[in-house]
Amino acid sequence: MFDFILILPILIPFITGLLILLIKPNVKKTEKYIMFTVIVNFIITAYTSFIYKGLSFHILKFNNLLDIYLAPDTLGSIFAMLVSVLWIFTTFYSFDYMSHEHNLNRFYAFFIMTLGITLGIAFSGNLITLYIFYEMLTLCTFPLVIHSDTEEALKCGRKYLLYSFIGAAFVLFGIIIFFSQTGNLDFTAGGIVKLFNNSNKNYFLMSYIFFFIGFGVKAALVPFHSWLPSAMVAPTPVSSLLHAVAVVKSGVFSLTRMTYYIFGWKIIEQTGGNDYMLVFVLLTILMGSFLALHQQNLKKRLAYSTISQLGYIMLGLVVFSENAFIGGMLHMLFHAMIKITLFFCVGAIMHYYHKTEISEIEGIGKSMPKTMICFTIASISLIGIPPANGFVSKWYLAIGGLELGAYFVPIILLLSALLTAGYLIPVITTAFFKGPPSSEVDIKEPGNLMLMPIIVLTCISVITGFFPNLLISVLQKASSVLF
Amino acid sequence: MGIVTNYFETCSIILFGVGFATLMFHRNLIKKIIGMNIMDTAVFLFFIAKGYISGKEAPIITNSYKGIEGYVNPVPTALMLTGIVVAVSTTAFALALTIKLHEKYGTIDLDEIIRMKGD
Amino acid sequence: MYKYFPLINVFVLMITAFTIPIVRKKKIARELSIFSNAVILILSIFILVNVISIGDFHYKAGYPNTFFGIDWYIGSIESVLSVLFAFVSLLIVIYSYKSIEHEVPNEKIDFYYILLNLLLASLLGIIYTNDLFNSYVFIEVSTLASCGIIVIKDKKANIKATIKYLIMSTVGSGLILMAIAYIYSLTGHLNMSLIHEVIIKNYTQYPNSVLIILVLFTVGLGVKSAMFPLHGWLPDAHSSAPTPSSALLSGLVIKVYAFTLIKILYRVFSFSIVNETIILNVIILLGSCGMIFGSIMAITQKELKRMVAYSSIAQMGYVFFGIGLGTPAGVATAVFHIVGHAVTKSALFLCSGLMIEKVGSKKISDLKGIGKEMPLALVLFTLGAFSMIGIPILPGFISKWYLSLACIEINRLSLVIIILTSSILNVIYYFPIIINGFFGHENLEGKVYKSKSVSIDRMLPIIFLMTAMVLVGGFSKNILNFISTAF
Repeated sequence: MFDFILILPILIPFITGLLILLIKPNVKKTEKYIMFTVIVNFIITAYTSFIYKGLSFHILKFNNLLDIYLAPDTLGSIFAMLVSVLWIFTTFYSFDYMSHEHNLNRFYAFFIMTLGITLGIAFSGNLITLYIFYEMLTLCTFPLVIHSDTEEALKCGRKYLLYSFIGAAFVLFGIIIFFSQTGNLDFTAGGIVKLFNNSNKNYFLMSYIFFFIGFGVKAALVPFHSWLPSAMVAPTPVSSLLHAVAVVKSGVFSLTRMTYYIFGWKIIEQTGGNDYMLVFVLLTILMGSFLALHQQNLKKRLAYSTISQLGYIMLGLVVFSENAFIGGMLHMLFHAMIKITLFFCVGAIMHYYHKTEISEIEGIGKSMPKTMICFTIASISLIGIPPANGFVSKWYLAIGGLELGAYFVPIILLLSALLTAGYLIPVITTAFFKGPPSSEVDIKEPGNLMLMPIIVLTCISVITGFFPNLLISVLQKASSVLF
Repeated sequence: MGIVTNYFETCSIILFGVGFATLMFHRNLIKKIIGMNIMDTAVFLFFIAKGYISGKEAPIITNSYKGIEGYVNPVPTALMLTGIVVAVSTTAFALALTIKLHEKYGTIDLDEIIRMKGD
Repeated sequence: MYKYFPLINVFVLMITAFTIPIVRKKKIARELSIFSNAVILILSIFILVNVISIGDFHYKAGYPNTFFGIDWYIGSIESVLSVLFAFVSLLIVIYSYKSIEHEVPNEKIDFYYILLNLLLASLLGIIYTNDLFNSYVFIEVSTLASCGIIVIKDKKANIKATIKYLIMSTVGSGLILMAIAYIYSLTGHLNMSLIHEVIIKNYTQYPNSVLIILVLFTVGLGVKSAMFPLHGWLPDAHSSAPTPSSALLSGLVIKVYAFTLIKILYRVFSFSIVNETIILNVIILLGSCGMIFGSIMAITQKELKRMVAYSSIAQMGYVFFGIGLGTPAGVATAVFHIVGHAVTKSALFLCSGLMIEKVGSKKISDLKGIGKEMPLALVLFTLGAFSMIGIPILPGFISKWYLSLACIEINRLSLVIIILTSSILNVIYYFPIIINGFFGHENLEGKVYKSKSVSIDRMLPIIFLMTAMVLVGGFSKNILNFISTAF
């Protein structure tokens, strides 16, 4: 009966969001409610992740197909923890960042509802539940993306919706084919395919490819990525959330579920589908980096960087070895922390100096040293210079590739690391070494509500870089049932 | 040969074609309604012909009952009575609408009416 | 006792219909109509319960033991549809109680309720009957009644739309009657079960005649249920009619002809006979075209009600698609789609009617910012749109799901792509309304929160319909299983 608690992290944000929409309290009160909800949610999520493990709960069970079922396992708990921790930081950050914006009630309502839905994705116990939350995620993030309510925002929002729904239609196609072959959609470590032979091999192959492309749209798989840079019209806390946690990571998480819990890697290997997808993934890594080099807008540059980094994570899903899986999942966690920090820093620059282009930020490192130092540390982590955390995940990915004799994996990783350096280092040099000498600029750091999340997140990435063993051991536990 | 011997059916199919074509291709609403009636009549003919057995009487007992073999099948005739009622009411409704259309648009040419805009 | 209920249903409606002109008071006319609909709903539920617990039954009017008495057959599908029709029509009549004065001239309101009751009576008759000629008569009555509820608004556009509808319908009726004559000449029966017995033995001798009959029926009923190339009358008729009529026409009337087609294809003939002809391929092709082109046409529309009407054409495409699959699973899903879409589309029409009434314009472009002025109405509209798009649990998703499974079952994977394409097209035309309704700086400027919202009692029918829609989705498996027992 105690399993009921699982529904709370999803329900509480939802109710808070609806109440805010209906009651329309003033902004100060809304902020209090949001803060309270986020923290309570964190506590409950932590409770279910660490203390009471292995709960499962049927929210609504109409029949075997329409069964909304929550059952977080280790992987789901990790994702849920990541989401709820980063959400707290973003919440505090957005209190400051959003203070001059309009229509805050709507923003906070959907902001908090998105938290519930993302946790729903993390907790889903079968594919149909995941699909429902996945669709809802699109709908709930849409008001956040178009928050500025301008004509351009609406246009980009429509693009985002269309891409997401087409992706979802692909996923649905995959689900239907898969369901017609197995009649089951529950997540089981190692897959649920019972009958596999030559006659239904092509069905599984087709299903896998449609799944991958469908979820890949959210995970910004090249060539289905172009919604992501467009969605940069959103306010920075939203972009950072979309990029670092909620949307793209949900796509990646769903891919993980699909690969290891629905098909099982052995089946996919037999169909050969991962070889086709590998091409897309490698393309994603390289294209993302190359495109990032050309962007002058800071947020856009980070957006393309996200595309490239997501490629790493997906690499762990098409190269079937335990180390590659761990590497991919580690990179999911690390990239979330790093990218959210980078976005927060850029957001701080935008908020306090109203500068968005790289050419405009000359010498900004002198006026906001703490912020830019955090930016530098995060960049180093993303590039993967040891002992930063980005190095650890890439190391595991490389090892995983080598174990299977895929020598191109480390090569691609190195090449892309160079490109990453190529698009991040200029930002740092422009910020610190150009512009007027430091004696002539006034130091104006962001407010504490904005600065603290940046600094704390940077500290966390540094610490996880030095001591990654805890995370690795948890992930090894998760992967031990899969391989 | 079948076409000649089954002259009832042949005739009704031809009539049906005539009526159908009139209904579909004429622009004048009154002619359309006439076509509709021809089409319906063709079906009635077809239907009743199915019940007719040559040399038999209508199923009305005049002097003495001649047994089942003596009469034609009464069911199609009965059905077609209903059919005629339906056709008549549809015609009446269509004609009423035509009058309304003429009041509002001043023409009964359907193409012209469709071309006109406005509420 | 319950065997008389179908007959009582039709009689109650007919008698109340003809009592109204005697009374000639608007208020009493409405209340009588609501009352009779409520009675029908209760009796239909009784029928459903009896069919579930005891099983299907026949009712023979007139000569019980002869072959020419009029036979009514109530099986699982009939009982479900009967409850559905009574429920939807009751809610529409309740909705019209407060809104009809805005659209229909005052002196004609009592006529309107005569027509509504007659229409429902004939629809129920079409559902129940097991006799071809009887169904023809009911089809004619329903056609005239539905023409009546369109033209009653007495505007130019209505008369134009009605004459178009009437002419197309008469063509359809002529073809249906011809087909009935043909089948009578072939078998000597009009009772569907008896025809089936004869035809199952002899059809190999008359392959061409069988094909001609099937084509005549498909085209004839296809005209009336807006099958793709024969849909020309629908957008005009459904968009110009008063809102309750549109809901009734789009939600129920066009469905009933599709159900008649199901009866003829699979009850008069059978899966094996029909699968040997090319007619199913034609139906599936036209259904697919309807799904795609109906949606594309809906995208290009500038008026809200026309858009929703074109969406009906697309949704009827799903029904024909299911019929055309020629498997029990496909046909059962088609019937399920009839149920789900009847509830959804009537609610959508009522919602759009409410918005149009308050805004005073039919144009989609004038509905910007409506989400601020009438939040509840647009939320309900959004819910209906979600079902059309195929968000899980809602019935639109379920139909797509089972239709796709039925396609895969017969190894026609390419058809699934058509279903999914059409659902993406649905996103394209439903979402702009919702987005422009709720969001956008320019759209919301100058709009006052809840300034145009209506009292909750006018929204109640829509809320009930939407609740029913969610329940239909939730209990889809039970409904589908129950429907499948018919095949």
